[in-house]
Amino acid sequence: MLQYVTGYLSQPVTPGEAGNYIWALIYILVVIMGVSGVVLGMNWGERKALAHMQVRLGPMRVGPHGLLQPFADALKLLTKEDIIPAGADKLVFSLAPVAIIVTAWTVFLVVPFGRTHAITDMNIGVLFMLGVSSLSVLCIVMAGWASNSNYPLMGALRSSAQMVSYEVAMGLVVVSAVMMTATNTNVGTLSMIGIVEAQASQHFWFIFKFFPLGLIAFVVFAIAMVAETNRAPFDLPEAESELVAGFHTEYSGFRWSLFMLAEYSGMIAVSSIAVTLWLGGWLRPFASIHGPQITIPHYWRGGALDFAASLLPALCMFLLALFCLVGAYRMPRLRTFRIQTAGLTVFGLGLGFIGMVLLCPPVRDRVQDIFWFTAKIGVFMYLFIWYRATFPRYRFDQLMRVGWKVLLPIGLGVLILTAIVGVLL
Amino acid sequence: MSVASVLRKTFFVDLVKGLAVTFKYQSPKEIYTEQYPLQRPTIAERYRGLPRLNVNPDTGESLCIACDLCALACPEHLISVKSERDPKSKKKVISTWTYDTSRCMFCGICEDSCPTDCLELSQDFEFATYSRDFIIDRERLETGLVPKVYER
Repeated sequence: MLQYVTGYLSQPVTPGEAGNYIWALIYILVVIMGVSGVVLGMNWGERKALAHMQVRLGPMRVGPHGLLQPFADALKLLTKEDIIPAGADKLVFSLAPVAIIVTAWTVFLVVPFGRTHAITDMNIGVLFMLGVSSLSVLCIVMAGWASNSNYPLMGALRSSAQMVSYEVAMGLVVVSAVMMTATNTNVGTLSMIGIVEAQASQHFWFIFKFFPLGLIAFVVFAIAMVAETNRAPFDLPEAESELVAGFHTEYSGFRWSLFMLAEYSGMIAVSSIAVTLWLGGWLRPFASIHGPQITIPHYWRGGALDFAASLLPALCMFLLALFCLVGAYRMPRLRTFRIQTAGLTVFGLGLGFIGMVLLCPPVRDRVQDIFWFTAKIGVFMYLFIWYRATFPRYRFDQLMRVGWKVLLPIGLGVLILTAIVGVLL
Repeated sequence: MSVASVLRKTFFVDLVKGLAVTFKYQSPKEIYTEQYPLQRPTIAERYRGLPRLNVNPDTGESLCIACDLCALACPEHLISVKSERDPKSKKKVISTWTYDTSRCMFCGICEDSCPTDCLELSQDFEFATYSRDFIIDRERLETGLVPKVYER
């Protein structure tokens, strides 16, 4: 038994490939907890960043700089009354949020946070992700229809029309990226890990490949993925000025929070597709350049650039810890702030301790790929907030025009050109 | 469509400009929000807030001569002045001066009509109450409002 658990650690594969159920379960739990934790953090980060872009302060009262606000929000949502409207279809109404959270989390089965840090590696990985994530439109239609109310129904109709039209363009550019994996080997792959390994072996992120074809495909995907997740400026399904809250107008409390969780998990999921297909997944920038060989006894043997990159996760943690400690030092010295100051200090010290742990050689080598993957996803999360703060919402006919008359032809063109260039080179 | 507008659309020039604007506004220096009980606003010198009845700082006597001009000048007739004659000096001395905040529009005509320096609209603005006693008497107007200072 112990052999079964520890034996996996020496194998350089994912738990799914190794067929190790215990580690697969651990990975699933870690991924679900991690995603939920990131969604909590994202809740705070979005409110804060959005507020600063709108010259406001954002949450300031619950904890230092409102750091505990998402926890307060979660508590509020869990204790709220769970209302099912009298005219609603009770079964479908209560099934919809569960279904949407299941689809949102199932997607993470194949997301490769690193070569060994995925739950499993499927040979149809990208297809699986696109397929399962488009199931969420079904859940939205379920929610809108079961509510037996006008606004949710309108929201659900808009959502289904929008998702169907943007999925086409998205699928086309994904195929163009998959075709790029076949360049040297003549055998393409749909496996998420396989795609990243193809980028590693070709020494190219696919965003730079066949310039500008990869870049155009990436831009089309980046637009389509905002539309897929119903985020501003494509948030017509939940346009609050027109449809109150769209498909989840009638939901409250815990069920509503499941919809929110699913929306943010979906954002992470589509960003991870974009990162995997075009931005080199877990590879660090300039991954094929190692720098001069250096040797530090008992600590490092290899390229200098690799060494510098391997220290980055710990440095980031130390930087965050420094932020927290400086923030704690700058707190007003009043009796009422004492608990907040102490809490912030402990939090900063905890981050510093995590940074120290990240410096240990076995941990250091294992978190490298996770660090780069999450950093790239973080950039996308910031972009989502940035778009929301900047762009006004599209009108519905404009949305359809962009989807069918602009993105679809560009996607088709990129696909055909990639095929031609790939054959000629 | 001209070439320039096609190029603008292809390279998202307008969108990037908009993104740049929102990015610049993220700087903490730009924040306009005031954390009210902690940070108090600076009030303009000529702000017309709650009236104040000034007293002579040396003797502690009211500067009011009970001439009733403020009550006559008030467009809303919400000031009432009552006085009694001091038997010794034979002077009119103010006994009550009441004023109704619920009807006051802070026009400042009472202040202009006051022949002495007694009546003055102060910069106090925090006179919200938990009950409906909007009529404020002389004692409160002479001391002025003492806002509760919160630590946080």
